[in-house]
Amino acid sequence: MGRLFTRQEREREQRDELLSAYLDGQLSAGEQARLKTQLATDPALRVELEALHHAVALVRDLPPAPIPRNFILPQAMAARPRPARRARPRRAWAAPLLTAATAVASLLFVVVLAGDLLLSGAGGRAFAPAAMPPKEAEAPQLALQPSPISEEVEAEVEKMIPAATPLPMPTEVPPGTVPTVVVEAEVHDAAAPEGMETPEQAVGGGGPIEEPAAPAPAASPTVAEEAAAAPTAPATATAVPERGVGGVEPTPGAVTEVAPLTLEEEEANAAETERGEPEGPATGIAPALLWRVVEVALGLSALGLALAAVWAWRAQRGNP
Amino acid sequence: MDEVSLIAAARQGRVDAFNDLVLAYQQQVYNLAYRILGDPASAADATQEAFISAFQSIARFRGGSLKSYLMRIVANGCYNELRRRKRRPATSFEDFGEVDEEANPALINGHEGPEEYAERQEMARVIQAGIETLPPDQRITLVLSDVQGLSYQEIAEATDVPLGTVRSRLARARGKLRDYLRIHGELLPAQYRLE
Repeated sequence: MGRLFTRQEREREQRDELLSAYLDGQLSAGEQARLKTQLATDPALRVELEALHHAVALVRDLPPAPIPRNFILPQAMAARPRPARRARPRRAWAAPLLTAATAVASLLFVVVLAGDLLLSGAGGRAFAPAAMPPKEAEAPQLALQPSPISEEVEAEVEKMIPAATPLPMPTEVPPGTVPTVVVEAEVHDAAAPEGMETPEQAVGGGGPIEEPAAPAPAASPTVAEEAAAAPTAPATATAVPERGVGGVEPTPGAVTEVAPLTLEEEEANAAETERGEPEGPATGIAPALLWRVVEVALGLSALGLALAAVWAWRAQRGNP
Repeated sequence: MDEVSLIAAARQGRVDAFNDLVLAYQQQVYNLAYRILGDPASAADATQEAFISAFQSIARFRGGSLKSYLMRIVANGCYNELRRRKRRPATSFEDFGEVDEEANPALINGHEGPEEYAERQEMARVIQAGIETLPPDQRITLVLSDVQGLSYQEIAEATDVPLGTVRSRLARARGKLRDYLRIHGELLPAQYRLE
């Protein structure tokens, strides 16, 4: 029904256009001859032509509207600077171009968003695995290099304490007290979870260790004493007495000597441990952060382009 | 001074020369604005703004028909005004009264009596009401063609559309006005009705 109505309306408009152009003498000779033939045989068409002609005649017969006043310009207009700029060219291409750009930006945004959601839905955070390797790769740099003696101590510890026990959070030990240590359960894990010490850091622990692992300076009763005795001690023994607390009093000679560690490395290690979060993720979240930035940028771009396209279409339609 | 000389003087910044052109065209420009907008106050504003704009941009006029140039400027102004009205409709104070905008006894022709004059004014009101039912683009095209007498080519230049668009817009406008008069034809004075 609607289609029939539309078709009839279209035919009526075409007929009116033909009749209107006929009234103005704008038809070609062939069109005019055909229309005259139709008018001769179609009384309804003649009625339409007559009605159209009547309407046009009335409009043409309208009296001129009386002007309310003169519209002459004041002489002061001459002093006004006249803009010498050229007329702004109509940017007919702007609206279609902006519309296409909006479509592209929206499509990219949807693709990126869908990819992110799919990957994160399939296996947790899409970039979580990528965030871990830098930590593991970085950990050896931060860790102390164990000496052969410390490896022996680790082996002894593993023999004596097979089961892993949770490590309590490190607390400060008042200076002057006898430092105590806790044997790390998973001493083989180089990348310890947050709040836990690396085996190298807890190397001074191991109360049950009976044999001194190192001669002379390393055989001193406590690391604190060793630190007081030797100028290089703080760098070699790490901060075990201050961190490794657990209520177990170390046996004299349990402190083993480890490879020398520079002061900067030690401070970095301590800072990392105290923060409770490793430095690795700072570089590991970069891809995820980048992904977010891309999503937000694409979304904002699509939105901005859409607004610009709407403005361009409206501006283009505004010019008659 | 002829029109070309007046235009040249106006381009030199001479307001008096441009005012001669204003006096020559103000009736046509105002009539166009009035038939498009339908009320004298808005038509006067549009006319004044059109002349100011024409003077300020006369340096860009590269010859041709000054009438078409002026019609283009005022038609654009009227189109913008119609769009503004569509966005923010408002009722004029004149709509509340019985102000006869067409009436001007000074325009009575020597051979036209008061009764004929009144009937003609009544016809003008009916036709103006029919014109105001048209969409802006069709309204402007109809007025430019059948009130101002511009050719298809001049209308195309004035409205910046192709000739085919002018033809179709004009046909639609005339067809709608014909349909309007079929419905409201009894409002016309007897001598203006279609037998």
